[in-house]
Amino acid sequence: MGSRAIGAALSPPAQALLAQPFLAVIGTRRADGSVQMNPAWFEYRDGYVWVNSHTRRSWPKNVLRDKAISLLVLDRDDPDRWVRIDGRLVEASTVGAEEHIDRLSRLYTGNPFRALEPDEQRIMFKIEPVRIAGENI
Amino acid sequence: MPEQLTDKMKAFLNEVFPAVIALKRPNGSIQVIPVWFEYRDGYFWLNSATSRRWPQHLQKAGEVEMLLLDPKDMFRWLKVRGRLVETTTKGAAEHIDRLSLRYTGNPKYQSSQPGEQRITLKVEPVRVSPSWGSGE
Repeated sequence: MGSRAIGAALSPPAQALLAQPFLAVIGTRRADGSVQMNPAWFEYRDGYVWVNSHTRRSWPKNVLRDKAISLLVLDRDDPDRWVRIDGRLVEASTVGAEEHIDRLSRLYTGNPFRALEPDEQRIMFKIEPVRIAGENI
Repeated sequence: MPEQLTDKMKAFLNEVFPAVIALKRPNGSIQVIPVWFEYRDGYFWLNSATSRRWPQHLQKAGEVEMLLLDPKDMFRWLKVRGRLVETTTKGAAEHIDRLSLRYTGNPKYQSSQPGEQRITLKVEPVRVSPSWGSGE
């Protein structure tokens, strides 16, 4: 596909891509070492990637155990433009996580997040980028 | 025999978006990358250059996780666990042109590097799970 870039810093075009409400695919490692992928909302803010989930789902458990995550963001209008951030978990918090998922929902859908399920505990992760790769960024 | 796909799955795979594949690097870390693909004759066909690392990781692992995700709708996806059944350089240059037509409309792949050798990877779907549930 197009030009490739690898490094530790996000170029201005990469930051512009991350500022769009494009979906991310996150890759995590299960306890047995196998790889799991899930679509996710995210935001890039203050030099960190922020993602949000429900404590009972499997991928956040993987992140809490492994402290590692690979996040791929695709430009939905150009299949040759993408950025990948391999990151390290620096903070996991349930405090403020409900406000955070609501914020993400408004960014992606323009609407507030749905009502939480009775047993739903949101959790947000602060991810420090360690390695950046991509094409046409 | 590859896992049989429903007509709805086939129609979804006919839409134009990259497959996201996940592999493990030799050090165990995860690599998630978008790749062009086509689903044809019951198999997923990927294409790369022999100098790239991901096809090497795939050949070593012999299997791959793929996520086919509608970039405009996070609730439309197909997860595929695949087994690499064939790798060949024969016809691989024609194959990347075919993928170029599918993805860019250009029947000639425009991003070849000098001296690069293309490679086609044939992946058999072993387990397929759609976001929309079974029975459709």
